[in-house]
Amino acid sequence: MKHVTRAYRALANRHGMGAALFVAIAVTLWVVVFITLPQLSMLDYSFRFNLPADQIGTEADHYTLSNFHSFFFNADGSLNRLDLVILGRTLLAAAIVTLIDVIICYPIAYILAHGAKGVAARLMVIGLIIPYWINEILRAFAFRVLFGATGVVNTVGMQMGLWDVPVDFIRADVALYFGLSYAYILLMIFPMYNAIEALDHTQVEAARDMGAPLWRVHWRVVLPIAKPGIVSGATMVFMLTAGALAAPQILGGPSNLWFTQVIYQWFNESSNWPRGSAYAVVLLLTCISFVLLMMRVFKVSVGEIGK
Amino acid sequence: MSRAVVFGGAYAIAFFSFLFGPLIIMVITAFNSSKFPRIVPWDCFTTGWFAELFGNQRLMEGLLNSVIIGVGVVALAVPIGLAGALALSELPSKLRAMLYTVLILPILIPGVVLGISTIVLWGQISRGLGGAVQAGMYNGYFLTIVGQITFVSAYAMLVFIARLQRFDATQTEAALDLGATPGQAFRKILLPFMAPAIGSAAFITLLASFENYNTTVFTVLSESTFTTALASKVRHGTDPSLSALAVIIITITLVGALTNEAVQRRKEAELGGKASRSPLYANPLTRALTHPGVVFAILVAIVATVSYVGSKHDSSVCEAAILQDKLDRQAELRAAQKAKIEAQEVEQGITVPKPEGGFGGAFGGLGGAAPVAPAAPKPEGGFGGAFGGIAPPAPSE
Amino acid sequence: MPETSPVSSPDRSVLLDHVSIRFGNFTAVDNANLKINSGEFFSFLGPSGCGKTTLLRCISGFSEPTEGRVLIGAKDMKGVGPNKRPTALIFQHLALFPLMSVADNIAFPLEVRGVGKKMRRKRAEDLLDMIALPGIGDKKVSELSGGQKQRVAIARALAVEPDILLLDEPLSALDLKLRQHMRTELRAIQQQVGVTFIYITHDQGEALTMSDRVAVMSKGVIEQVGAPDQIYNRPRSSFVASFVGENNALKGIVKVQSEDMAALETPMGTFEARVGGGRKYKPGDEALLFVRPEQLVPGKAENAFQATLSRQEFEGATNHVFARAGDTDLRISMVNGGLAGSVGSTGDTMSLGFAPMNATILPVGQIASEA
Repeated sequence: MKHVTRAYRALANRHGMGAALFVAIAVTLWVVVFITLPQLSMLDYSFRFNLPADQIGTEADHYTLSNFHSFFFNADGSLNRLDLVILGRTLLAAAIVTLIDVIICYPIAYILAHGAKGVAARLMVIGLIIPYWINEILRAFAFRVLFGATGVVNTVGMQMGLWDVPVDFIRADVALYFGLSYAYILLMIFPMYNAIEALDHTQVEAARDMGAPLWRVHWRVVLPIAKPGIVSGATMVFMLTAGALAAPQILGGPSNLWFTQVIYQWFNESSNWPRGSAYAVVLLLTCISFVLLMMRVFKVSVGEIGK
Repeated sequence: MSRAVVFGGAYAIAFFSFLFGPLIIMVITAFNSSKFPRIVPWDCFTTGWFAELFGNQRLMEGLLNSVIIGVGVVALAVPIGLAGALALSELPSKLRAMLYTVLILPILIPGVVLGISTIVLWGQISRGLGGAVQAGMYNGYFLTIVGQITFVSAYAMLVFIARLQRFDATQTEAALDLGATPGQAFRKILLPFMAPAIGSAAFITLLASFENYNTTVFTVLSESTFTTALASKVRHGTDPSLSALAVIIITITLVGALTNEAVQRRKEAELGGKASRSPLYANPLTRALTHPGVVFAILVAIVATVSYVGSKHDSSVCEAAILQDKLDRQAELRAAQKAKIEAQEVEQGITVPKPEGGFGGAFGGLGGAAPVAPAAPKPEGGFGGAFGGIAPPAPSE
Repeated sequence: MPETSPVSSPDRSVLLDHVSIRFGNFTAVDNANLKINSGEFFSFLGPSGCGKTTLLRCISGFSEPTEGRVLIGAKDMKGVGPNKRPTALIFQHLALFPLMSVADNIAFPLEVRGVGKKMRRKRAEDLLDMIALPGIGDKKVSELSGGQKQRVAIARALAVEPDILLLDEPLSALDLKLRQHMRTELRAIQQQVGVTFIYITHDQGEALTMSDRVAVMSKGVIEQVGAPDQIYNRPRSSFVASFVGENNALKGIVKVQSEDMAALETPMGTFEARVGGGRKYKPGDEALLFVRPEQLVPGKAENAFQATLSRQEFEGATNHVFARAGDTDLRISMVNGGLAGSVGSTGDTMSLGFAPMNATILPVGQIASEA
């Protein structure tokens, strides 16, 4: 608190009372009203029963663990395999998508930082950004066009005689994996690029000069520099993929739900907000723990993210 | 080393094909008259899907809502993001790392969670307040603005942090020393320095607000924004009018990117002192032509011309021919099928063809038969049609 | 004070009353105690990190002294912010506002005081005339050359006629020629406007040529305050003697002191010299004898000794001769005497001497390392 008041005074001295007041109010509003309170409120909600409006505040309205209990167990006491498997599969799929993105983005980030020059580099940057101006929904739609029953992949594949019945890429989740890997590429490349760019290119040349093969140069020289960027990008891609809703709704097969879709159903189709809140809390906690675990494993701090 | 260059080039080409391939294919499907977005087989060149797009009531209403919400989000998220960046600049390092983590978290938290927590909190608050306040507070516009601000402000903040890092603090000190009050120094020195960042932050927050689905789909309640309307349209059957929308957005993006490139180039040349030496800027004609305003005007003129010409295009004759062709082919098929079944009935009595067999047969027949229109409009329709062809014998089971 | 007294000039003095500035355990300025007179060109000279910039920021109001007081025009400045002090600071990198035109930069102090647009423009043009850059008011700052920026920064600082102008090494970014030219110009401007100039520099050439008085600082301590020739000829500490100008230091033991003269026994012989800083020595005390390169004269009989010539550097007007006597390296500067003036070649033995009045005996202390 002492530091906060000191920082406030420093702000007031430097930028004036008005600016300091504005900063204090805006940041407090953001942290408390927009970030913290909603999460607490959701947490509170997840411990309540789904009651009709007239019973709220009555005796029936007390805290309960039932929402969480029914996430883990069915009514008969057996494990709730359905929901647990969906959550597990969502996390696993998000991890796979993240890994795919790391692998396909690393060469591009490296080329951008140390290979491409002048016009080529400029074009590459523009080329990377342009797809992200296009609405997320439309990007997913593009993959539906590509992989649909009468999509380009199927018609071309069949005309080439590779297969003779349209393959249902949607049901097989192929379209979904492609779409998700595509969706957050930019968020992977830029942190990676920023990290790799800091590397003095002569180091790479020196290592090559000493006779190190290309893969070893990358493993020993480039990768250690790129690591914070990779972790930062991977964290964002993982969180956004695990929390994706549009792509699974548009590209996912009807039988393989994404965990966010389960939450969506509890809210919008079953109108059971407390249960939905409990599931959201579960998603939030698992994602954050997963990311913290990864950060610990790779020894990177949260402060690296977003740079 | 040259092997590495070749590999790098090839990889870059493959990578960008992956980035642009789906978009290019989507763009092409916007001009195919086929009711399902596809390239092959090609029916007729048409611009009709654009008309269809603008005729979509729900999307257009969503667009208006998105603009209203976007303006609200920009108006609040940009100042909040600026405040966050300024607060971080004054805190001691340990506290700064803490606050940074808290403020950046909303970008990482699943949008679904943000949406849910927003409606839960404000639902409770407005229920507590009741009456007119409840109506003013618990509606799609307010909730969406509030929900989006939570994370959109963080985008704005990142833009401001980057800009602030390049600010020379002695500028403020100089202003103070010359007699400015801290407030005057803030308004006359720091804010003008931040102006370009304010512009780009406003742009990025507007785009993020416009694009957002995961949070908005919860907070918008019974209203819809452009993106949620789009999503529900995609989920409930697709048609090429969405491709037409993609064409429009991509065109706007390209015009913006090229204009921005012109601005950047000019700025760089001027800053680097190259402007006076470069032949491009020395010649008055090329200098005028490379002016961002002129570049923009030329691009807009091209787009307008193409749109006008396109809007005059009439594909109805071609489409009618295709339709007729399709009908003929269906009739032919039906007749052939009928003949075949009759023949079978004659030979073996009544047998029920397996559905799979029917499928395969129908498709196989079509695939071999013609390069045009293998199936009827929608995929389901197509299947249905094929079924239809085989169906008659089924009841006789 | 009645406003109608143009004759009596304002008090533009600065008094540092036992000022100490500490950051945690680190003492940046240690008990600075001096008065800078009204209308004086005063320099703080010292190596980087000696605390001179900290002191300057304290005078301009960006920091407060931990102990002691800063008085400007006899008024205590405690609690008075930088924008309320009658001081103007020229920053090391000038801190011109890149988004404003030259005229807007110069008129900024007037703008924040609510002066109207027309008046501001007029004053900006007057100031541009004064710095001999008329008609550049509408240019962008980025279009100016280094020297022009320098002058614009000065004009901006003078726009509201401050009592004190503080300059934080403003010439350090310029090339040598321009730097020398700006020295003359700064001095001229100072004499024209009559404002007290407080100048911070690590360049002794700047300090000596421009200043009325110089304060030499080292490690937060003001070692000596005096006119440039005093600083140069009458150093009061080994740091000042070694930092300001070139100097030869001979280590030895005091044999006898009488008033302000003493005899010092060194491995090369016993020399007589002036006692610096009014100190008293007992026989047997260790001390240093400083003698300037230009005071070592070949063939001089007083304080004579033998040295071996090691090398020479010819630099036009001066010939730098390096010689060795015992285990001490010496530097001798000789005015170019034309074709006749050769002192010999490497390995030759030469006899050198110096006048007792032109050498100084100082206590053993900090020696400024070669820059």
